[in-house]
Amino acid sequence: MTRFRRQLFVGWFLFLLASAGAIALHLRYHLALPKYAYLTGWAFFGVMLLLTLYNARKKLPFLPLGKSENWLQIHIYGGFFTVVLFLIHLNFRLPTGWFEGTLAWLYLLVTGSGVVGLMLTRILPRRLSTRGGEVIYERIPVLRHALRCEAESLAFSSDSTAKSPALAEFYLRELAMFFSGPRHFWPHLLESRRPLNALLSEMDDLRRYLNESERATLEKLRQLVRQKDGLDYHRALQSSLKLWLFVHLPLTYSLMMFTLLHIVIVFAFAGGAR
Amino acid sequence: MPPTIERPQRWDVAFDSEMTDAAVGRLLAIAPFSAMDEAKFSKRTPLREILRNDTSIRLYRKGEIIVRQGDYGTSAFLILSGATRVVLKPDLPLSLLGRQAPGKKGIFRTLAQLWSSNRPPESFRRAQLGHGEGLGARRNENEEVHVFLQDLPRVLGQHRTEQMIAGDFFGEIAALSRMPRTSTIFADTDEVELIEIRWQGLRDLMRYDPALQQHINRIYRERAMASFLRATPMFRHLTKEQLAQVAEQVEFATYGDYDWSGEYKRLAKAGSVTPEKEPVIVQQGDYPNGVVLVRAGFARVSQKFGTGERTLNYIGAGHVFGFDEIAHNWREPSASVSFQFTLRAIGYTHVIVVPTHVMEKIVLPSLPPKDLPALIAPRDVEIAAPAPTELARDLVGAETLEFLTENRFFNGTASMVIDLDRCTRCDDCVRACASTHDNNPRFLRHGPSIGRLMIANSCMHCADPVCMIGCPTGAIHRESFAGQVVINPVTCIGCKACANNCPYDSIRMVDVRDENGDFMMGEDLKPIAKATKCDLCVENHGGPACQNACPHGALERMNLNNLTALADWMKR
Repeated sequence: MTRFRRQLFVGWFLFLLASAGAIALHLRYHLALPKYAYLTGWAFFGVMLLLTLYNARKKLPFLPLGKSENWLQIHIYGGFFTVVLFLIHLNFRLPTGWFEGTLAWLYLLVTGSGVVGLMLTRILPRRLSTRGGEVIYERIPVLRHALRCEAESLAFSSDSTAKSPALAEFYLRELAMFFSGPRHFWPHLLESRRPLNALLSEMDDLRRYLNESERATLEKLRQLVRQKDGLDYHRALQSSLKLWLFVHLPLTYSLMMFTLLHIVIVFAFAGGAR
Repeated sequence: MPPTIERPQRWDVAFDSEMTDAAVGRLLAIAPFSAMDEAKFSKRTPLREILRNDTSIRLYRKGEIIVRQGDYGTSAFLILSGATRVVLKPDLPLSLLGRQAPGKKGIFRTLAQLWSSNRPPESFRRAQLGHGEGLGARRNENEEVHVFLQDLPRVLGQHRTEQMIAGDFFGEIAALSRMPRTSTIFADTDEVELIEIRWQGLRDLMRYDPALQQHINRIYRERAMASFLRATPMFRHLTKEQLAQVAEQVEFATYGDYDWSGEYKRLAKAGSVTPEKEPVIVQQGDYPNGVVLVRAGFARVSQKFGTGERTLNYIGAGHVFGFDEIAHNWREPSASVSFQFTLRAIGYTHVIVVPTHVMEKIVLPSLPPKDLPALIAPRDVEIAAPAPTELARDLVGAETLEFLTENRFFNGTASMVIDLDRCTRCDDCVRACASTHDNNPRFLRHGPSIGRLMIANSCMHCADPVCMIGCPTGAIHRESFAGQVVINPVTCIGCKACANNCPYDSIRMVDVRDENGDFMMGEDLKPIAKATKCDLCVENHGGPACQNACPHGALERMNLNNLTALADWMKR
């Protein structure tokens, strides 16, 4: 069994075992134990706290706290386990009241964003490496600017044999916008080549109006368009790989704040809890 | 037409551009050069030109360190006047060699990183960057930095030493075999004049002067050969006498160029790194005249394929080549085979050749049948029997093997390998490195890639650390024998020798700051620079921070000379 398969197997096995144990305990004790909601609540909160500690682990790489990879595995399967604890804590009913509802929604959004993030981190890197042209995210604007300058100098270079400014006009009409900034985020994310093909097709149409020298320039522009498209592709996918955390983390902090408030309120009005 | 460059020639760059005719004339009048027969030297490499281009006259003052134990060097020394002293036992302490003591950070230093992480990058307390204890440094008239032992009587009192006088050679074994220097040698008189001979010159002098060759061969066999042969499994059944006989008859040679990193950089830039340009050690199809043992450096095993050659494997120190063919011919003399593959030096390769007759008379009869390789099956055009060297291609694939060879990545014992199919480009590795190293990440998460494999621009802790050649203060060193290559910031003088030598551009010079964040300036009002690079977190508990910080198991520090480990990791 390969390492990742073993990881998957162990993760699911422990998750299913823990879930089965938690449900069995719930069925056995949920009517028998006094203050049962407190017990499930603290267990739920404890696991959530453990999950948020992963971020602290990331901030302290110089301490011997174990491999981040193992922490992530705990974070993933622990995250799945919180769904079971969440349902047990709610006693398998829908939440009532705006506060409880907000808390439940926050939990669902955190979990959902985590699952989306997990999917993105498993799918997008493979697509990036398949596409090739690896580039550091922070360098993309610099490279894009260089491509733009090169494209502009090609399009606007004076050609003594040209009879009309067709190439320059085409650049201003179709390519200036394309080179000016990142484009086609969603098509790239959805692996659609339609915008690129449309642009290349327009460039093909333009060929018939150009002389030999201009055609050579157009060919160079085509190469630059492809390179720019590659940069946009990397930007779209690398942005997605980074941006989901900007959803997941603020929601997590909000959830933890609301949870703490929830605990305070529960203890403040403890009379009704069982 | 592909871009071309002028092929570098021998003596394009002299070892010392200031060697004059008068100096050469003076050397020719001194032993051992005076006893050499100029007529025996080839017309292309006359003695006079060797002395002019491959030597340099060096002056040292009393107490100045000439070579340090553990350093790598590519030159030998001959004492012209004055005396030097070699430290025998015990070895000089690390502090006197310009190195930092190995060890992990204590609990308080580890925890202190919690609040010290806000400091400006690469900042030091001014007191931290004073001279090493017991050491001083001065520049000579050529602006070379010489480090000297401040308390010489104490060193002499605490260490057993031996004096060397005019006419004595030292450093020749390290120069010829690219092994670390075994002892520290310092100047013992007020003015010591030495001639430093780079290895190419020494090689040529040996070639044309039998007396020098005999002298160095004897030293080499006495000091280095016996221990190497004893450690080679093929000879483990030999008696002491037989081993001595083998040691007496083996030959040794160096192929390629010790200064390969410079030429490699130029050729790589021009895109003309090809196997055909590498020096041949053994040619496929030739009569097997000896078993080749690689003692240092690396060699490419290749096979004719179409009009070119395809790489089957690369082998490094400790590997044996040609054993199968010679064992086959010994057992089946009527169906003898020639060398099945070609062996070429990559960069440089130092080899020991055990002649066929020594193998047949002494070595092969001592081996039990189970230790003998299988007979080589008859073949027509293609290889019939799978040779062990073919496994490398099967393991990682032909393209990856070519990629690793052409980029010289097999040199790395702890290369940063990234699986792009798993890497989410989150830069947790970069942040972890920065947090662990004065807020200055010591690597770039980018580098040459093939398919889903990327070798990031980080120190690979090379098996052949060319960066360690020429450090004037010993600041760059191995933490232990064959251990991590680290830099002691206290003794680094920012000369860039290591950064310029590194073929992989993995060493960066940074201007350091004081505790207030201001750049430190020298007396000349120029910023103080230090060489920085990955130290594999030698001081940290738990291993490399980059590897531990990767949430997706996409980054691994790996010995790329072990293709099985790489293959296992890729299939994980």
